[in-house]
Amino acid sequence: MDVVRIKRGRDIPLEGAARRTVESWPLPETVAVVPDDFYGLRARVLVKAGDRVQCGTPILEDKADPRVRIVAPLGGQVQEIRRGEKRRLLAVVIQVGDKQDYVPCTKFSPVQIPELSRRQVVDHLLQSGCWPMLRRRPFDSIACPDETPKSIFIKAMDTAPMAPEYDVALAGQEEALETGLQVIEKLTDGTVYICCRAKQREVFRPKRWDRVTVVGFEGPHPAGNVGTHIHALDPVGPGEVVWHLDFQDVMAVGRSVLDGRFWPHKVIALTGTGFRDPCYARVVRGMSMASLIDRIFSGQEMRVISGNVLSGTDAGMNGFLGFYDTQISVIPKGGTRELLGWTMPGRTKFSFSRTFISKIFRATEFHLDSDLHGSPRAIVFNDVFDRYVALDVMTFFLIKAILAGEIDEMERLGLLECVPEDFSLAQFACPSKTDVCRIIRRGLDLIRETQE
Amino acid sequence: MIRLTKIVESARRLFEKGRPLERLYPLYEAMDTFAMTPGTTARTAPFIRDAIDLKRSMMFVIYALLPCLGFGIYNTGAQMLMAGGHPAAFFPAVWLGLSKVLPLMITVYLAGGFWEVVFAVVRRHEINEGFLVTGMLATLIFPPGMPLWQAAVAVSFGVVIGKEIFGGVGYNILNPALTARAFAFFAYPAQMSGDRVWVAVDGWTQATPLSVLAGAPHGAGAVETLHQAGYSFQDAFLGFIPGSIGETSTLACLFGLMFLLITGIANWRIVAGCLIGLLGAGSVLMLLQGPDLPAVFSLPPYWHAVLGGFAFGTVFMATDPVSASATQTGRWIYGILIGILVVLIRVFNPAYPEGVMLAILLMNIFAPLIDHGVVEYHIRCRTAARRAVGKL
Repeated sequence: MDVVRIKRGRDIPLEGAARRTVESWPLPETVAVVPDDFYGLRARVLVKAGDRVQCGTPILEDKADPRVRIVAPLGGQVQEIRRGEKRRLLAVVIQVGDKQDYVPCTKFSPVQIPELSRRQVVDHLLQSGCWPMLRRRPFDSIACPDETPKSIFIKAMDTAPMAPEYDVALAGQEEALETGLQVIEKLTDGTVYICCRAKQREVFRPKRWDRVTVVGFEGPHPAGNVGTHIHALDPVGPGEVVWHLDFQDVMAVGRSVLDGRFWPHKVIALTGTGFRDPCYARVVRGMSMASLIDRIFSGQEMRVISGNVLSGTDAGMNGFLGFYDTQISVIPKGGTRELLGWTMPGRTKFSFSRTFISKIFRATEFHLDSDLHGSPRAIVFNDVFDRYVALDVMTFFLIKAILAGEIDEMERLGLLECVPEDFSLAQFACPSKTDVCRIIRRGLDLIRETQE
Repeated sequence: MIRLTKIVESARRLFEKGRPLERLYPLYEAMDTFAMTPGTTARTAPFIRDAIDLKRSMMFVIYALLPCLGFGIYNTGAQMLMAGGHPAAFFPAVWLGLSKVLPLMITVYLAGGFWEVVFAVVRRHEINEGFLVTGMLATLIFPPGMPLWQAAVAVSFGVVIGKEIFGGVGYNILNPALTARAFAFFAYPAQMSGDRVWVAVDGWTQATPLSVLAGAPHGAGAVETLHQAGYSFQDAFLGFIPGSIGETSTLACLFGLMFLLITGIANWRIVAGCLIGLLGAGSVLMLLQGPDLPAVFSLPPYWHAVLGGFAFGTVFMATDPVSASATQTGRWIYGILIGILVVLIRVFNPAYPEGVMLAILLMNIFAPLIDHGVVEYHIRCRTAARRAVGKL
């Protein structure tokens, strides 16, 4: 299969996409490791406030499997262990030091790499701190080192509103990329899929490796979601596992193998109408949002979102860039009340439905804030879900099964293939403002609990 | 504007927690968000939301009902004038129609709204806009001559038993407006099923086209019988016939349908299914017509589509997303079966010359079963596809 055409879904044309220039930024003042970035991680903190750390020092470990560790992206001093209600761990904040040094790990020369065994690769990834970049479906939790996935998916496209273009980050990283692919390929006996835009297949095609397949995806959002890729190419059945990772993480893996150190840099897109000048920037994982302050319009309350507006997390100005996120979106918070909203023609309103006059006088790009545009209600118009979920699952019945707590029914309906992200477009469109994503998350939590 | 906001703000305090009108907060909330959008923001992903909400969707159904309402008011008056032997001039007819329809509508909204508010207050949830549609639908499917107290009782039954005891709009199995109509039909058969209610003139009896047919001798030609009774196809299509207030004009229903389909509120599969079922079943029965069979057998299928409440029921009742099937395949099956049942009830059951109400209610009850079948089939296909490639 060369090109997959996705029919269900819809693009949301938002104003504020990044222009194609990559800025290099100085190191941020603080970075953090946030356990909530990793679904299902039961974190144990390995450092205390005041400790000196280096780039690559383990900060958290998984209580279930201590080999899985999250490492410090930069060196410096642990500033605070941030906790919330009931002492829940929120973040380990590191004040970045002036002099950067790193924890060395095993280094391989390009000649050695083809000879590496799977065991050696796994050990290297665990030791260097690259391991958490690999996630597994079902659940989207960190991959388990003892499992062998039936295939691995590399996400090289994104169709979310204002999403970054993946070829921007490619320049000058060819060696790291080839090495990374070579290493990743050793983790599975099946295929490694690189999923990119149909037009960019040649850009992402590797030079040699035969178990790596490049598949182009065409169509509206969510054509760029990993869930859509997996569902179209190699769906996850009961008892099966696939892994996936981001294209830039392949390069980070390659770098860490060649240089013998954790590679914290990545290119992200700064998007949204809240930014003075939306562009791409080379930054560090876990950087603090506070370092963006002079690039964001002041005078209006903003939502600072790590990730895209559909499935990101509300980090706020005190938050940090998520481990997996390749985009920061800043949009106005909104919430101004409008007179008689239920009947106004709505020239500037964006809607999938055809109930606004903006459908006729079509604007090319819309300016959206985080207003809910209504109050939550019971589901009435239950056909929106089918139109905007690209997976072959019956969303409305899945929601019902989850609300009823019917675990068998959820699994039969295919919940294990899904993560909340796959339903964000349906939640966007739902006139009853149903919390579809949170319901899906609850269903996954329920299944996890029974499996443990 | 600022002063207005201040007044609203001070009124709001009366309804807050611990204040005298705390229990009536849902009432305040409904009025408040009617005047202005709630202005709440999304706290979790997705952080942007579609501009549509349930209020707007429901209001668009009401807009779609306006042609039916307008024509219904005129026709109610026109039928009354004609019954008195006067010409059906436009303004007198509208005036007379308003004098009949408005009190009925106000009664229905008051009774239905009362229960909606009671349940919202007791169960502490927000008032659902769905009752605006229910009230309008109920008014339009009641006969113009219906006593107001009966309308109030019927709507109370429809709203409470048809909807609220299940948890309100979104949780109901039956269409509440149709439940009200069915209640009236079975509770007050003397008034509701005879020939006295269709024209709102005391003591005047006039049969609807379908009851004319039900009363015709066996073997009579259906179309001739209707022509003799003074009903032409054109009249039936345009709606100049006696019947429930909003249901007579197929043309007005088509305007409504167009609006619902353009705005994407109604699911076209159900409407298409109903039409296919009706035309199919009507054609088959027409082949069976004979001298020993009731006259209605020989009614051509396109006549079936313009008589009684078929157009109105198909466009506004069968498409109610809550009580209909919730799967795309299920919607086809659901629609087609409604169409077939309409014809079967009309033809085989002379006691109920009008079959649409019962057909839709019956299919409301079967909709979950249809969905269950479709979902099970879907699950089986999923697992079979996996097994075929040896992945399970």
